[in-house]
Amino acid sequence: MWYLVAGLLFGVLLGLNVPWKIPSILARYLAVSLLAGIDTSLGGLRASLEGEFDTVIFVSGFIGNTVLAAAFVYLGDVLGIELYLAAVVALGVRIFNNLGVIRRHYIRSQTDKKTALRKVSSGES
Amino acid sequence: MGRRGSQAALTIIFILFGFMLATQFRARPPISGNVPYQRAEELSVLLKATEEERDRLREEVKVLRDRVAEMMAGENQVKVLRDELLKARILGGLVDVKGPGVTVEMNDSQVKSSGVQDPNVFLIHDDDVLRVVNELFAGGAEAVAVNGQRLVATSEIRCAGPVFIINGVRVAPPLKIQAIGDPVMLQNALKMRGGVVDNLALFGIEVKIKTEQEIVVPAYSGSLNFRYAKPVKDEGSK
Repeated sequence: MWYLVAGLLFGVLLGLNVPWKIPSILARYLAVSLLAGIDTSLGGLRASLEGEFDTVIFVSGFIGNTVLAAAFVYLGDVLGIELYLAAVVALGVRIFNNLGVIRRHYIRSQTDKKTALRKVSSGES
Repeated sequence: MGRRGSQAALTIIFILFGFMLATQFRARPPISGNVPYQRAEELSVLLKATEEERDRLREEVKVLRDRVAEMMAGENQVKVLRDELLKARILGGLVDVKGPGVTVEMNDSQVKSSGVQDPNVFLIHDDDVLRVVNELFAGGAEAVAVNGQRLVATSEIRCAGPVFIINGVRVAPPLKIQAIGDPVMLQNALKMRGGVVDNLALFGIEVKIKTEQEIVVPAYSGSLNFRYAKPVKDEGSK
């Protein structure tokens, strides 16, 4: 796990120290991409807790979701629809779902260690 | 994918993730509230009432002016003339004046240029100063001086390389603008949401506003030479 935390810290430091800033027009795309990234990361954590973690699925999910989320917002901009909101709501719901499952998992493993590895269908994607 | 490969891939993904987080954190636009609709409506009603009052007061001014004209014709002529002259001299900036007001200090931005942006936006320009001065006059300032240069009808505020030229005198930042008027009003005029100071703050230009009980605004020190402008003889006025 330590290398994930180290990677995250390294990325944050890198992002804080690069001399250029992202243009404000692109900030919205990055925001939704970021939300997709958070969702995927939580999905990965959830999957690993459920013992179903798969690196290929996780990596492809992370890249695919972030790119797709930004593309979705772009489509909204082109069509003049606030698809941005739809993406934020959908991803928000998923993040809360994932958090809920993770929370339940931890509580259950605290109270009953035997049933900690409850297998639930639905992966991390 | 082997264990090492999988670790490397995950690390790269998390570096990317952290990078996105930090970038987004730095790019987020400053939160600025909007004026709620109801408040806007309230203000427009207020504005209308004030405008009506203004029109009424204008009528009053007209009546009073007529009376002044009458008095000037009468025995108080000299006193009235002296008063008028003093007012004209204050308006023309020919006397030192004192009173409550604000002191505005402006300085170039201390924000380090990121290298991508034009460094020019971090410096005070003549139009920035003009906007501040304009806002002060709009807020009811009666006498304004920039670094001791009283602004009169012929004053210029002009860019001249790293300095400004005001009344033909070179003036360099940090600027100290003194304005006599209602201190609260002047301060509010400058600090209006989306107003001058807000705009300047975007580029980190320092604007410090201090309300004062009494400041002294010096008189215009330049020459009074009208080579071209000649008064038009108006038959109607006295």
